[in-house]
Amino acid sequence: MSQNRQYELVYIVSPDANEQAVADLHTQVEQIVQRFNGTLDKTENWGRRKLAYEIGHAREGTYVIETLTGSGEMVKEIDRRLRVTDTIIRHLTVRIDEDIRVADRLRTERKETQARRRTARGLPPEPLPSERRGDRDDDDSGEMGLEAPEGQR
Amino acid sequence: MSGERGGGGRGRGGKKDDKDKAKGERPRGGFFRRRRVCKFCADKIDYINYKDVRLLAPFIPERGKIQPRRISGTCAKHQRALQTAISRARQLALIPYVTD
Repeated sequence: MSQNRQYELVYIVSPDANEQAVADLHTQVEQIVQRFNGTLDKTENWGRRKLAYEIGHAREGTYVIETLTGSGEMVKEIDRRLRVTDTIIRHLTVRIDEDIRVADRLRTERKETQARRRTARGLPPEPLPSERRGDRDDDDSGEMGLEAPEGQR
Repeated sequence: MSGERGGGGRGRGGKKDDKDKAKGERPRGGFFRRRRVCKFCADKIDYINYKDVRLLAPFIPERGKIQPRRISGTCAKHQRALQTAISRARQLALIPYVTD
């Protein structure tokens, strides 16, 4: 009995590998996903990117991000396969369904609170583009002014 | 009067330095003013994405360490989330562990 969850997989392909090899790895992942009755929702290729530090002897690598839905066993198998593949220098799988749920809930809660408060004040529920607040926080300096006289004396 | 001012240097800037000293901030100059509001609360960022280097960069000074809460002003909840995001980004070589 396994539940379907959403995961995000990022892997870095060695700079020695050509584009064909990157495409092959993608199909490999796809096959595993299909075998475990999962779905591959999205693929993103960042292309070649400089690494922040050397991994092995590689200074750059190709980043591929895949969004998957499936079971934990599927991820386990993908993880195992990626670990034994020499052309992959680093990979990371993160479960994202809970984070997405939390973010969605926060967003809707904020929208609801805003709409409720605005209707209570007799305003339309959505803020107009003209009433956007600026980023300046000028009252900051006012507070500092209170401390300043001591230092200047 | 003018002699006193000479020590402080630049009027308003002098005030700022005094406050920084009181807060135990770095003595080195060229540091922007402490932000008292959590960036993630203010900008309404619900999920701190570890792949977004531009979002994380302001919290990683040159040395590569995570900036403490007392300096960045981030709230406890978001500092925890930030910590996870930075660890993941480091693992993927998007951000350095250390820079000498």
